[in-house]
Amino acid sequence: MSDTKTPPVIVLKQLKKRFGIGDAEHYALDGINLTIQKGEFIAIMGPSGCGKTTLLNVLGLLDSHIEGEYELDGKSIAYLSAKRQARIRSQQIGFVFQSFNLVSRLNVIDNVALPLIYKGMTKLARQKKASTMLRSFHLGEREFYMPNQLSGGQMQRVAIARALVNDPAIILADEPTGNLDSRASHIIMQELSDLHKQGNTIIMVTHNPDLTTYASRVITMLDGQIDTDTFRLPLQSRTSTKKPLNIVKKPKASTTKKKDKK
Amino acid sequence: MKILFANHIHIARQSIASSRMRSTLTMLGITIGVASITTILALSAGASKIVVDQVDSLGGNIAVIRPGANSDNTLDGIAKIPIGQQYAASSLSDVDIASIERIEHVKAVAPLMILGGSVSGVTEGSAHTPILATTPNLEQISDIEVSDGQFLDPELNGATAVIGPQLSIDIFGTDQSIGKTIKVKGQPFTIIGILKRTNNPINYNTVDFDNAVLINLANGRELNQGASQIQQINVQSESVEYLGGVITEINKTLLKNHFNQADFTVLSGDEIAQPTSGLFTALAGVSVAIAAISLVVGGVGIMNIMLVSVAERTREIGIRKALGATNSDIISQFLIESLALSIGGGITGYIFGYILAFAISTFLTFDPVFNWEIAGTALIVSLVIGTLFGLYPAIRAAKKDPIAALRQYD
Ligand SMILES: Nc1ncnc2c1ncn2[C@@H]1O[C@H](COP(=O)(O)OP(=O)(O)O)[C@@H](O)[C@H]1O
Ligand SMILES: [Mg+2]
Repeated sequence: MSDTKTPPVIVLKQLKKRFGIGDAEHYALDGINLTIQKGEFIAIMGPSGCGKTTLLNVLGLLDSHIEGEYELDGKSIAYLSAKRQARIRSQQIGFVFQSFNLVSRLNVIDNVALPLIYKGMTKLARQKKASTMLRSFHLGEREFYMPNQLSGGQMQRVAIARALVNDPAIILADEPTGNLDSRASHIIMQELSDLHKQGNTIIMVTHNPDLTTYASRVITMLDGQIDTDTFRLPLQSRTSTKKPLNIVKKPKASTTKKKDKK
Repeated sequence: MKILFANHIHIARQSIASSRMRSTLTMLGITIGVASITTILALSAGASKIVVDQVDSLGGNIAVIRPGANSDNTLDGIAKIPIGQQYAASSLSDVDIASIERIEHVKAVAPLMILGGSVSGVTEGSAHTPILATTPNLEQISDIEVSDGQFLDPELNGATAVIGPQLSIDIFGTDQSIGKTIKVKGQPFTIIGILKRTNNPINYNTVDFDNAVLINLANGRELNQGASQIQQINVQSESVEYLGGVITEINKTLLKNHFNQADFTVLSGDEIAQPTSGLFTALAGVSVAIAAISLVVGGVGIMNIMLVSVAERTREIGIRKALGATNSDIISQFLIESLALSIGGGITGYIFGYILAFAISTFLTFDPVFNWEIAGTALIVSLVIGTLFGLYPAIRAAKKDPIAALRQYD
């Protein structure tokens, strides 16, 4: 999948993110080196508070007050204006948040259509696109519900539909299935995997080790650093290729190290 | 851009609708402010129009000389209210009248000396009864007519007066008061004529003839310790063509009389209407002050509600930013919302302003005027208030850090 020909989508060099100052100073990310190729499906695991969300925020350009290097599509983000960053978020990145983060005063379809506003699509086109998206998540008949009229699982599916509506090249998902039962989780994962097969890059945080089977690479984090980094073939590819799991990078990471959660 | 704009308007509509009570209360200040501006502009335009129409109907060959320097500044108009002038020393003299009469193509000259003081017949008249000392020419220059008896004539023996029909009814209980004696500032005058009702308290003579008592200039001087106190000189030229030349000549002559001091103003056409509506301008000044206060209060209200709205929607701002909104998208979203509030208030105020103006005009002799300047003023005032007081909350919204915003629980 990850051909060495094309330049990597994401390169992190000694990335650090500090919160607070003085005594309260704390590195949520503490020297991360990471290269992500186009089309990878990465699952990030790790104990609560180890910096997974912070990493996703940095990757998604929500937080550019960082130390170290972050190159997106070969360009250092340090030189991107706020406006340019917003444009990248609008056109290249899809966010699925840890909490659903739906806008409570907008109905389901308007929530899903939200990212399209900033792409400059007409209202009709937005509604059409959002409606199609919702139907593929089996939420077609919930279009005009308000978020508070939905179950937690439905809300998260709306949130995912919203993240995918602008056809982002990179999808950042923070525990996208955290609030879904296992059947619903697998529907979502199937959806993500389809996107992956279309060539999208997916970076997903999860606490559920079962779901890492969909990923092509599993990273575990600990105290703001990468603990293990395991390359593997995703479920779908495994059926089509005969290659065995190829494990690279840190020698100690020959297996996916499981961290206990919470 | 157009799409975004439409969307912002949509969002603003939604968020205003979702808290209708709050929005309505917020708009109230703007509504009151714009309503008072609209009322006063509509009414004073109506008042001006009536005077302009009068001057036109008199043939357009009238010029009016008033004491005081000319000024285009409308604020000066407020200072020049006719009531105040009655007691102020006038720069116009009897010599001026005489020299204007000698100017070529001048057909008639009528000085107006307006005095304050008590008037009584069988009963006491209002303290605000205008006492107008003038010459017989006034009848010709102004659109006043005698319904009964005759107009002023200095040749007649004794002190004579012509009074307005309403004054006659007020102090004698009848409009048949010829031959009766009216006391003006304690002095008896014999009534020789009753004016025809004009129903026109607003005119370029600034005198409500229905309620006035007219006496000869000489008698007026006697009542004023022998001094002339001329508030206005009406000049009629032989025809419209001569008016321009006459005005130039008047200016020259008076400047010479006044030792090159331009302490008088010669007005013609529409200009005559302006100082006449000075009373309205004065009222307008008060209303504008009220309007300004309510607008500022309204603006602060909008700012307050927008700050609350920004705080309430911190999380939404974070979400929007994460989904690709730029800072200017966020600014325009909130700015359009505050503009929607102020323009909504403005439109309501404009409508209420006219309703009020029409209600008030039932007590007046003229109607409010519709014109695009008033609508434009209402709109611009609303726009400015909405922008001025909405900008700071909008910038605050745009400055929110998306991560902190997303971490906030709502
Ligand atoms: N905005 C913030 N201000 C201060 N500290 C923060 C902030 N965001 C995260 N942190 C801290 O950074 C660390 C990593 O947080 P996070 O990335 O949310 O962890 P995870 O998602 O892995 O549970 C935690 O110790 C957290 O308290
Ligand atoms: Mg987290």
